[in-house]
Amino acid sequence: MSKHRGFTIVTVVLALLSIAEILYFWLMPTVEPWLPPEGGHPGDQVDWLFRFMASAAALLYTFVVGYVIYFAIAFRRRRGDSPDALGPNIHDNPKLEAAWTIVPTLFVVLLSVLSIKIWYVLQVQPANGLVVESIGRQWYFTFRYPDVNGEVTSEMHLPVNVPVTLNVTSADVIHSFWVPDMRLKADMIPGMINTIRFTPTRIGRYKIICTEFCGTGHSTMDKQVMVVEPVAQYEVWYRGWQVHNAQVSNAIPTVSSGAISLTGGSASAGQALFAQKCTACHALGPFSQRIVGPGLLGVLHDPTHPNLVDGDPATPPNVAKILQNGYTGSFGHMPDEAENGLSSKDIANLVAYLNTLKVK
Amino acid sequence: MSVIAEHGGLAEHIHPEPQGFIRKYIFSLDHKIIGIQYIITAFVFFVLAGCLAEIIRIQLMHANGGFITPDTYDEVYSIHGSAMVWLVIIPMLTGGFGNLVMPVQIGARDVAFPWLNMISFWIFPVSGLMLFSSFLMGAPVAGWTEYPPMSLQGAAGTSMWCAAIFLVGVSSTLTGINFLVTMLKMRAPGMTYTRMPLFCWGQFATAPLLMIATTALAAALAALFMERQFGVPFYDPTKGGSPVLWQHMFWFYSHPAVYIMILPAFGIMSEVISVFSRKPIFGYRLIAFSSAAIALAGFMVWAHHMFTSGIAPYMQLPFMVITFIIAVPTGVKIFSWIATLWEGKIHLTSSMLFALGFLVLFTFGGISGVFLAAIPFDLHVHGTYFIPAHLHFVLVGGSLMGIFSGIYYWFPKMTGRYMSEFWGRVHFVLFMIGFLGTFLPMHWLGAEGMPRRVATYDPQFQGVNQFESIFSFIMTLAILIFFINALYSIRNGKKAGHNPWGARTLEWQIPSPMPYYNFKHIPSVFGLPYDFTEPLPYAHLEEELTDSPVPVGSH
Repeated sequence: MSKHRGFTIVTVVLALLSIAEILYFWLMPTVEPWLPPEGGHPGDQVDWLFRFMASAAALLYTFVVGYVIYFAIAFRRRRGDSPDALGPNIHDNPKLEAAWTIVPTLFVVLLSVLSIKIWYVLQVQPANGLVVESIGRQWYFTFRYPDVNGEVTSEMHLPVNVPVTLNVTSADVIHSFWVPDMRLKADMIPGMINTIRFTPTRIGRYKIICTEFCGTGHSTMDKQVMVVEPVAQYEVWYRGWQVHNAQVSNAIPTVSSGAISLTGGSASAGQALFAQKCTACHALGPFSQRIVGPGLLGVLHDPTHPNLVDGDPATPPNVAKILQNGYTGSFGHMPDEAENGLSSKDIANLVAYLNTLKVK
Repeated sequence: MSVIAEHGGLAEHIHPEPQGFIRKYIFSLDHKIIGIQYIITAFVFFVLAGCLAEIIRIQLMHANGGFITPDTYDEVYSIHGSAMVWLVIIPMLTGGFGNLVMPVQIGARDVAFPWLNMISFWIFPVSGLMLFSSFLMGAPVAGWTEYPPMSLQGAAGTSMWCAAIFLVGVSSTLTGINFLVTMLKMRAPGMTYTRMPLFCWGQFATAPLLMIATTALAAALAALFMERQFGVPFYDPTKGGSPVLWQHMFWFYSHPAVYIMILPAFGIMSEVISVFSRKPIFGYRLIAFSSAAIALAGFMVWAHHMFTSGIAPYMQLPFMVITFIIAVPTGVKIFSWIATLWEGKIHLTSSMLFALGFLVLFTFGGISGVFLAAIPFDLHVHGTYFIPAHLHFVLVGGSLMGIFSGIYYWFPKMTGRYMSEFWGRVHFVLFMIGFLGTFLPMHWLGAEGMPRRVATYDPQFQGVNQFESIFSFIMTLAILIFFINALYSIRNGKKAGHNPWGARTLEWQIPSPMPYYNFKHIPSVFGLPYDFTEPLPYAHLEEELTDSPVPVGSH
């Protein structure tokens, strides 16, 4: 039974090879040969899952390929064999079949448990985290920070070791926000907000890449970076943008600048109008795009409130402009003044009322 | 005719064989001719889509592209993907091999609805021409998945794409109905489900997928077409539509479609591995059952393509776990095939080499599929080159290897001649080298940070991309050798007897090429298809075989 001795030898060799591969995947100091340098949490957990799956895969694949090649050579029809030679009449082996059904099933259960554990980490909202937004546009990303008016249009800076909740959406077609070093990704879908939660732990500059085809410029939508830096440096950058965007004011102008004079609007009249005309779609709650229209509590005073639906900063003249002209675009439909039956005075009253709404 | 007359009553049911060229070879009702028509047409589209693939690889030889503009590049990969899926692999494996082999293997004279079969076929080249003609009016750019709102903005050709895919889907659905009825109602006496060859089991599991899943795609395409042409808002968020709705409907079809593309190839594997190991297939029942299990579970995993799309978090979990579970029946098949090799007398023919290559490459693709099913890892590699790497391992390393194996295996049945074994081996070796060099490094590219569907990319990846492009040329050379071998062998190949491989299934018990109406008498089946040591035949046939029996090993 020399071929069975060969089988034993091959099995031992494949087992040793598998052990070496498994040791390699667990003992390699970083996953950098296979994945980019890991820059945060829970990216480290994703890497752990990668090591786990890669070792299991190496074990399985080594044996599959090893046996296929060995069997093809060892059991090939040889020159001396009769042309009609047949293999043995083996139909099945219930024990073996039960084994290779049950063992993979148990492995699948284990893998499910491990994946769900890590998946759960991705869902937990970190306390005291920084809430940042990113908006995908053809073909760049913009960012919104608390207490910064308008949008940050260049790099995205984050303080190291501070948990981040990143809400992403799109102003046109579907994009996808990916920072390979953070291992996380979310599609930026017009009309929807998706969330990534992570904590950058390594200082550095990481590419932000769009991974959903978004038109001619898709290939070039990898030019911006996420900069993770010490808190002090982050603060300097952050103050810079606060100053840079400071001209975007939330105060009601005393001199009329737009088509509509906003001076002398009555907040109480505005409140009555709001109940009549607006509450069908807008709640007096926090901003949320998951209802028909966004919640308007603090629209003019909440620094975390995103820009208005047309991309302009939330300022009284811009709010008035939307009330006047309405909006139809990727976020939905907002009727204009004619459709809503609003006079210029009504608009001034509404803006005055909205300006009184503040987040407690 | 005397034999038929003796059995009384049978003769009037047999229509005479059409004699005119057009009725015999063009608008044929004969399942074998239709099968060959499918295979030839699909190979024509394979050449066209393969040229597009090489255009992609040439463009990617430089980080800054430059061979074609980004817009043209987007059109090229969109049509490449669409054509390979809908015009090559699905028609080849279902309409092609299914028509050629399945009715004979179950002992039937034709499919249940020959006219429907002819209509199914003729829709297919028409829709293929429509798909390629979309280049004339600006082809779709958003990939074979055509996610809106991007596809709503695409050029006029995107609507043509919708119509073409819709039509080819009609063809698939009709074929599914036809095959299912044929296998349910037209099996020969004694051909129980547990005596059916495993290739038929593959088709049996595929047919309901073709029938049910394709209708979801048809609905999605009709909606996209109406939105593009008439402004009916289904997907556009600015009008209250949902872009994610398309993704659900598209993947509700396209994930089962993955199994449409692989289950018939699994069937080919079972035939080829058993016959060339000269041994019964190991674990027949478990292989047959696992095909059905994969088909069923295939309907419940579509959202694993959408883990980044913002579906409700808790909804992601069942899709992840069911996807993991599909790995179990798939693994069972792989292990059973390897066990079939054990102590066999393996004939390393070209067909068998491709079957062994299938085991090596498809298993890799299956394993990377498990990686992708794990949500935390999928969030990293979704939308990157890891995805093309994975899908080419299962669709080229799986389905296409199965197709090549099946062509080498059934070529003598189609033409009565062998393909050249020497050039078949050259094809195999070059193809394996080219394939691994092209697609293996793509996993690394994706994991390291190269997104898919890009015409230009980060220069740090240029070396690896050039490496891949060079190996893709080797793969193209291998395929060229295959085509020359096949075309040459049709007329000049070594003559093969009616059963050159010593197989027991019914198609090998009738003359090659197969006669019109297949069987003089419907055979009665009383054995198992892979019992090579069994001295009794698999079925009782009364065929007049003119060629003398050839020893199995003489090829």
